[in-house]
Amino acid sequence: MKTCHQLPLYLVLVSIISLASPVQGKPISYVGGTMVMQENDETGHTLNVDYTFDPHFALGLYSKYEIGGNEFWMAGPQLNTLLKRWNLPDGQGNIFSMTGAGLARQGSRDEPAAWLTLLADYETRRLFFSYEPRFMYARNIEKSVWQRAYAGFAPYLADYEQLNTWLLIRVDHHPAKSDHFVVTPVIRFFYKTIWLEAGYSSNNHVMVNWTVQF
Amino acid sequence: MRKTLITLVILVGLSGPAWAETITTTVHGMVCAFCATGIEKTFRKQSEVATVKVDLPKKRVVITTKPGKTLSDEKIKEVVTYSGYKMGDIVRTK
Repeated sequence: MKTCHQLPLYLVLVSIISLASPVQGKPISYVGGTMVMQENDETGHTLNVDYTFDPHFALGLYSKYEIGGNEFWMAGPQLNTLLKRWNLPDGQGNIFSMTGAGLARQGSRDEPAAWLTLLADYETRRLFFSYEPRFMYARNIEKSVWQRAYAGFAPYLADYEQLNTWLLIRVDHHPAKSDHFVVTPVIRFFYKTIWLEAGYSSNNHVMVNWTVQF
Repeated sequence: MRKTLITLVILVGLSGPAWAETITTTVHGMVCAFCATGIEKTFRKQSEVATVKVDLPKKRVVITTKPGKTLSDEKIKEVVTYSGYKMGDIVRTK
């Protein structure tokens, strides 16, 4: 059990931000928009703050405190890129990449780290699907590949000024972990630029993710 | 007096339209509130624009210009594309 003073500064910052603003969405917003994204699940806690400076690019800082086996902390700048978008009359499809490099820390050991996430999604007003393979390299601390998929629907079609609700299933595949497949039923809410989702995984972990765009 | 009135009428006529224009454009790809917010904010930054209203179920954005101002089809397309989406039909009313 860790005591408060042993907690990394990162966790303290995450907690402060979590308390200060109640709430993940696409890794790129609108030009001039700043986005704060935070994830908490059985793999750890992440914090991502980025600024969209071009319709296809956002630059920011990404940090993760990894748990559930190999515990370490990593952080560094990350570039989010919209590789391809399909704007259809009744739907939208995207392929994004999130690429970063920085430092991973485990105990007193520091190693250079690099990571890459590819994200493909398709959504209509009613349906949502996404798939993301994630790659992580930190020399002697962590080398991993895992993947995540979402599928869900909106039980009602909300207008712009109304609360949007989605019901989804999230499946994570971690080849290197004891729970290879983790299934999480998720409820997602968003109102304009505030986005919150929560779930409870098949390996008994609470998941809470949020995003605020401003 | 009559000459003054005629001069005033001519001057007002020459100064251009003083009414606002309502422009409705369909936006392909605008399927969620996150998408719509970006489009709304980018249109609001345009000096010609007075109000912006998003109609998410119909995937439409309704723009009202300031009196005497207008937005060309090219400008609307530029804003929608810059926001990351694709412009559909445009309907103008005065």
